[in-house]
Amino acid sequence: MEQPGRPDAPASQPVSQPVSQPVSQPVSLPMPTIGPASMGVLGGHAPKPIKVVLNWGRRYSLWVFNFGLACCAIEFIAASMGRHDFIRLGVIPFAPGPRQADLMIVSGTVTDKMAPAIRRLYDQMPEPKYVISFGACSNSGGPYWDSYSVTKGVDQIVPVDVYVPGCPPRPEALLHGIIRLQEQIATERLSTQKLKGRYAGNRVGSAGDVRRPLLRRGAKPGEGGQ
Amino acid sequence: MKVTDVRDVPFGEWSSTVLSLREEGYAYFDWLTAVDETDRETDAGFDIVCHLLDTREPGSLASVLLRTRVADGLPVPSLTGIFRGAAWHERETHEMFGIEFDGFDDGSGLGLRPLLLPDGFEGTPLRKSFVLAARASKAWPGAKEPGEGHDSARAPGRRRVQAPGVPGPEWGPR
Repeated sequence: MEQPGRPDAPASQPVSQPVSQPVSQPVSLPMPTIGPASMGVLGGHAPKPIKVVLNWGRRYSLWVFNFGLACCAIEFIAASMGRHDFIRLGVIPFAPGPRQADLMIVSGTVTDKMAPAIRRLYDQMPEPKYVISFGACSNSGGPYWDSYSVTKGVDQIVPVDVYVPGCPPRPEALLHGIIRLQEQIATERLSTQKLKGRYAGNRVGSAGDVRRPLLRRGAKPGEGGQ
Repeated sequence: MKVTDVRDVPFGEWSSTVLSLREEGYAYFDWLTAVDETDRETDAGFDIVCHLLDTREPGSLASVLLRTRVADGLPVPSLTGIFRGAAWHERETHEMFGIEFDGFDDGSGLGLRPLLLPDGFEGTPLRKSFVLAARASKAWPGAKEPGEGHDSARAPGRRRVQAPGVPGPEWGPR
């Protein structure tokens, strides 16, 4: 019973041992890349009609991830209901989570304490991803602009494509913002150069710059958890 | 709900008054907070305010708003021995006003620690002396007062108040 794999398997273990990694090494989950990375070969050389078709497909299937933080989220819900019904524009509000979403709508007051969570969920979204800042608070801080706890606009932590003004904006304003975003997507070139350049600075830097370690029971603040 | 009874108590009788009110039947602790009165000319300090309810009689709520004035820097006797639920309120009051609570015990043994503010936040934001530095660091993109930022010729004759927390001219132009 000479199995060549058998003696090799124990022998290969000491090779990996001297790296001396901690036992509880976090599993590396790379950011999902769908879109320009897979479209790259096609998109870089695609003739114009193909680009139009690809953009047409993307602009009318925006799975939206609502980051509702305050009263503006109610207007977002109103825009998704029967009277305004942004599903007819191809905005689908049933994304199970940020990893399945194309569009994040930040509606409400972004506080300094919530900002790391927004950045973390934005980083989990696959590319190409878009952000609509809905309402005065997430545009600039709004009436709470000089508060000690309110972030002065969500564009300080994530890149924003369309700003919808208002306090709160009417649902029609959100529809207008969605149409604006779709116009932007329609004119987008599919070459990865542009998209990579657009996301490089934001995507390569992970959420770590605004992230704090998860809270553990009994952990002292500042020690973090490895 | 209307506050039916406002009582000012001397600082020394703070916790004993709360205890006796609880024995009287005001056994529902509603909230506790502080009011910055450090700019008063006489008896400057902080108002510690506590709201207690009597819920025994259905259909009618009797309530007591209890106030005491404490000088800045003095520790306040903690109410956590009387109402366990006062712990969150005292932690919040501590981080927002910088008021110490003597004998604070919420069962965790960790003492007064921040409750709401993000980690690393410095300062006590609800004090009047806390300067809202955001006004100096990032300009508001619109008009600060009615009439500003539009093409209208005249600004309204509104009294410009210097609210607490607004950074003064030494913080630079805005």
